[in-house]
Amino acid sequence: MSQHNRLAQGGRIDRNQPLSFTWNGKQYQGYQGDTLASAMLANGIKVVGRSFKYSRARGIFGHGAEEANALMQLGVGKETIPNPRATQIELFDGLTASATNGWPNADFDLMEWVGKIGGKMMPPGFYYKTFMWPEKMWMTYEKFIRKAAGYGKASLEADPDTYDKMNRHCDVMIVGAGPAGLAAALEAGRTGKRVILADEQNEFGGSLLASGQTINDQPAVEWAEAAAAELAAMENVICLPRTTVFGYYDHNFLGALERRTDHQGMTAQSGTRQRIHRIRAHQVVLATGAIERPLVFANNDLPGVMLSGSVATYVNRYGVVPGNRCVVMTTNDSGYQTALDIVAAGRTVVAIVDVRHNPEGRLVDAAREAGITVKPGHAIIEAKGNKQVTDAMVAPIDIEGDKVTGQPMSMSCDLIAVAGGWSPVVHLSCHTGSRPQWNDEVAAFVPGPTLQQQHLAGAIDGEYSTAGALTAGAQMGAKAAASEVHNQYDCGDESICPAQAMYLVPHTKPVSRAPKQFVDFQNDVTAAGIELANREGFESIEHVKRYTAMGFGTDQGKTGNINGMAITAKNLGKTIAETGTTIFRPAYTPVTFGAIGGRDIGELLDPARHTAMHSWHLDNGALFENVGQWKRPWYYPKAGESMQQTLNRECMAVRRSVGMVDASTLGKIDIQGKDAREFLNRVYTNAFSKLAPGKCRYGLMLKEDGMVFDDGVTACLGDNHFLMTTTTGGAAGVMSWLEMWLQTEWPELEVYLTSVTDHWATCSFSGPNARKVLEKLCDDVDLSAEAFKFMDWREGTVAGIKARIFRISFTGELAYEVNVPANQGLHMWQQIMAAGEEFDITPYGTETMHVLRAEKGYIIVGQDTDGSLTPQDCGMHWVVGKNKEFSFLGKRSFTRPDTSRDDRKHLVGLKPTDPTVVIPEGSQIVADPTQPIPMDMLGHVTSSYWSECLGHGIALGTVKAGHHKTGDTVYFPLADGRVLAAEICSPVFYDPKGERHHD
Amino acid sequence: MTSLKTPLHHITAPAHVTNANVIMREDPFRGHLNLRGNPQDEAFTRAVAKVLGVALPTQPNSSAEQGTTRIYWLCPNEWLLLVAADTQAQVEADLRDALAGQHVAVTDQSSGQTLVNLSGPQVDDLMMKSTVYDCHPSNLGIGKVVQTTFAKTGAIIHKCADGSFDLVIRRSFSDYFFLWLADASQEYGLRVT
Amino acid sequence: MLHIYCPYCEEMREEEEFSYSGEAHIARPLDPESLTDAEWGDYVFFRTNPRGLHHEMWNHAVGCRRYFNVTRNTHTYEIYETYKMGEQPTVTGGKS
Ligand SMILES: [Zn+2]
Repeated sequence: MSQHNRLAQGGRIDRNQPLSFTWNGKQYQGYQGDTLASAMLANGIKVVGRSFKYSRARGIFGHGAEEANALMQLGVGKETIPNPRATQIELFDGLTASATNGWPNADFDLMEWVGKIGGKMMPPGFYYKTFMWPEKMWMTYEKFIRKAAGYGKASLEADPDTYDKMNRHCDVMIVGAGPAGLAAALEAGRTGKRVILADEQNEFGGSLLASGQTINDQPAVEWAEAAAAELAAMENVICLPRTTVFGYYDHNFLGALERRTDHQGMTAQSGTRQRIHRIRAHQVVLATGAIERPLVFANNDLPGVMLSGSVATYVNRYGVVPGNRCVVMTTNDSGYQTALDIVAAGRTVVAIVDVRHNPEGRLVDAAREAGITVKPGHAIIEAKGNKQVTDAMVAPIDIEGDKVTGQPMSMSCDLIAVAGGWSPVVHLSCHTGSRPQWNDEVAAFVPGPTLQQQHLAGAIDGEYSTAGALTAGAQMGAKAAASEVHNQYDCGDESICPAQAMYLVPHTKPVSRAPKQFVDFQNDVTAAGIELANREGFESIEHVKRYTAMGFGTDQGKTGNINGMAITAKNLGKTIAETGTTIFRPAYTPVTFGAIGGRDIGELLDPARHTAMHSWHLDNGALFENVGQWKRPWYYPKAGESMQQTLNRECMAVRRSVGMVDASTLGKIDIQGKDAREFLNRVYTNAFSKLAPGKCRYGLMLKEDGMVFDDGVTACLGDNHFLMTTTTGGAAGVMSWLEMWLQTEWPELEVYLTSVTDHWATCSFSGPNARKVLEKLCDDVDLSAEAFKFMDWREGTVAGIKARIFRISFTGELAYEVNVPANQGLHMWQQIMAAGEEFDITPYGTETMHVLRAEKGYIIVGQDTDGSLTPQDCGMHWVVGKNKEFSFLGKRSFTRPDTSRDDRKHLVGLKPTDPTVVIPEGSQIVADPTQPIPMDMLGHVTSSYWSECLGHGIALGTVKAGHHKTGDTVYFPLADGRVLAAEICSPVFYDPKGERHHD
Repeated sequence: MTSLKTPLHHITAPAHVTNANVIMREDPFRGHLNLRGNPQDEAFTRAVAKVLGVALPTQPNSSAEQGTTRIYWLCPNEWLLLVAADTQAQVEADLRDALAGQHVAVTDQSSGQTLVNLSGPQVDDLMMKSTVYDCHPSNLGIGKVVQTTFAKTGAIIHKCADGSFDLVIRRSFSDYFFLWLADASQEYGLRVT
Repeated sequence: MLHIYCPYCEEMREEEEFSYSGEAHIARPLDPESLTDAEWGDYVFFRTNPRGLHHEMWNHAVGCRRYFNVTRNTHTYEIYETYKMGEQPTVTGGKS
């Protein structure tokens, strides 16, 4: 394929490195250094997609982040990326891309659908009007809208690439490596401060890379190359090309996306494809430049209508002229430079159409000297053509630019270059809440006041001359680095003739009758649409935006928004300053989900915490349950067993002989200090004043609202030394809760808390044979029931290891918890398993533990409670101290009217009427299942299991006034239509007198 | 003692790494003691210095070292004492003796955490991936110690004189720690010694 | 992402190291039993939630585990000062 728009020489491409690529199934050729857009233009590709609402043909329009039309579906299969802009895709050999918005297509008939929703073709307010449709239809509409929006499709397969993140810190962060950014980096860099310079393009230089100017008598391109090399050699400067700073967050924190291998191929051969740099900077220099503004005229969306500066960039940087006969429309001098560049490339400029009535000066003279026709006081009021520009309709206009004052004439052309002035790239400055301010002098919004340590340099601040940008960059770079300016810049004569502010170009017909004058290409928002919105009463610019969907696309209104605001201002008879602007949110350009996810995938998504015995559990076939971040053995199925069979076997082993559970995950807090007892009295509902060394006590913790928050057993290790256990999931929360009280309210208490959860491994074995197992391993502790009672603890030697032995039980059986330093935990577990072999000691998991404790009516905080139950609601009056001197946390709330109500939800036992039934957990409880829906609900089931040892299902649940309804039958209407029944009973189903664990 | 198992005893180093730019070495079975007390109380600081042979560092984020004993500042009234393997029980007993009657706490953490050294030509890059803390020498100088994030868990990070980093990590997170380390250092090459 | 000075570690740390703990300077009543239900309810449930200047408590959770106070603008996220437990703010009212 010939690249018929490619110049024979010039540009920053390597003609010795041809690259082939495929677009919409056809093969083409470009060169190393091309973007996909420049290569497409070189090959004369005009139409790159269809528009969202009207299905109009669209072509490449810009050359960078501002591009609104050329959204690609890049690559195929699992590697595919939806919606990158062709202008930002670096060409590589073998690249494959297709148009994302080929809509409407065969399987979707636009008119049929539009007819269904009301006949009018998606007018402004479409989104709102659709939202107001029957709500249930929205899902249907949305599906079509997504499709209609023409955006690309993500792959459903796993992304083969690696994405990650890096945390960076610097003194000076410089965003943008155009003239201002480079000059700033040179100043900051030479001070030795830590500097990061990021630019979204593949090489530093920005506008200089397409400039014919000189800087201090050196060609601008060469100066940029030298500056980049100088910076690369500085050890204190991190240069990040191909890196888009997409977000500027509070306290000078920035997010930047580095595309490390995107330019090499669809997937990274090795290493990281994209990396997000999370940058904390002391000072930030924004040198993000400006985006050229298009002008709004009839059919301004035809392929072949392009931004003037983009045309110049294609000519100078890529050696591509996107057309042979060009008409330039301009409001300022920059269009003249483009015209001169086109002529220098050997192509024709039919005319420069200048909306100003009296343009004069350096560039105007140069254009005239080059033989270019200049039409002052004229505008292109309409483009003509079918799928591409064939003519420009040029007419004289009045000096205000409001009216057409004479007959239009037709100029034959295949390219219209539009220079409507410049919009500073204020986006990043907006991200932390700063509103842009209108600056009349440059007829643009510039960044407003900010709380960030932010400096502006160059075009972002309305400084459009190269020397001005370099000088401002140097000043801001030096200032950010707390230094003096070192470099001076001279770029020769850059004098210009003042620009004219112009947005909507008048037509011979009124806006509502003229051919469509597009404001936002991505959302097909027209001047007429904005006019309609204004007429319907939408005056606030934020409302206009939402009503018309202006700026809603992936380009976030980079080119359209200002024009839309100007049109609104004019319609309302206000100035743009009065109308104001919308602000921009992150991200500046889209960030891939791969990069946002980084390494937070698979096993790295959330840390898994393991006990010292984890490898044993794995080796012995445990399935695991997540409890907080812990992986706890759930149950240990044997070959051929169902889960229920396993649970039955594990439960019966504990009830008949002995079983063991890994209890290392319980939170453990070491409490030392002379006020430790007083502290426990304050945070627990019951009293610890008299707990003697060697003794343990169960405790319940409340929040100040009186609701149960955590529970556990606390052992007295010494007069001033306690070991508190907490629930597995609540450990960290309890620790910080206790620390908060000590540090903020009771600093006078002499108490120190230290988490020792990880230090201790806990083997908890229980069952009638538990003592016999321990006797085999421990001979320095009197294990008799009289000497070592329930709720005692002893220090002793178990299997040759110094251990703490707690005689506490969560199963209702005789039980011991042997605690050893975790380095010896695996060994201890193995020794107990070996000693228990003759008793068929059975390892069990959390599920069996839950069944066993439910048979005993022991609550699990967080399962049976949900932050809305008091101890009394749980039937645990026995654990609430009546005569404690200090009003412990939560106590005062007991007497609040709502808390002391007699008909609160109470935790009760539920015995299914049909003994074979296990009521689903979460089932709603009602008194009368024949009531029409919605029924009066009494509560819900919190725990429910099959009890093998009792031979029937058991459940715990909350029931309104349940403590007064013992014996009543309640019902559980299930989603499948069945209705189960159960009798309210005591939650203690097994050994209600507690004889077994006391033996 | 064969019954002892360090948290990282079972990890397997990545195979066939010819060019390791990150090197991990566990310093297993060190004695880890958590000490609490009031640094404004001279009786406390003097007694501790006498037992340990080195004064408690009282500047935030600082450390002190003497022979095989190292002390990390953790907060204004909390320190981590790293002592030679198998001496923690004796040091704990000596401290309790010397501090009898004072408002202090001594807590053995030797099994709850482990000490890991990270070094190598690209260890700084690895640290940038792993922690939000600024580990640049201008911010984390030699001897400085900070408690901060490490991937999705926490770590105590100490900058050593040779430019490497000593990390104290919690036992229950050690498998995750190594999973992260192996993943994050893949592009640099990891060796475990 | 906030950048917060921990008055105990005496340096700036990243937000990830901290957790938020609600409004500062809410003292627990010394004698809860003597309070009316309304007074107790006010202590337990009600917070000022201002737009603008706010004194709040943070915890250096992944760092030194100390609680401390922050005077922060809830609208702009500007942090005016951080100070230790038991200390009083120097930036109060009037500024938002
Ligand atoms: Zn701190």
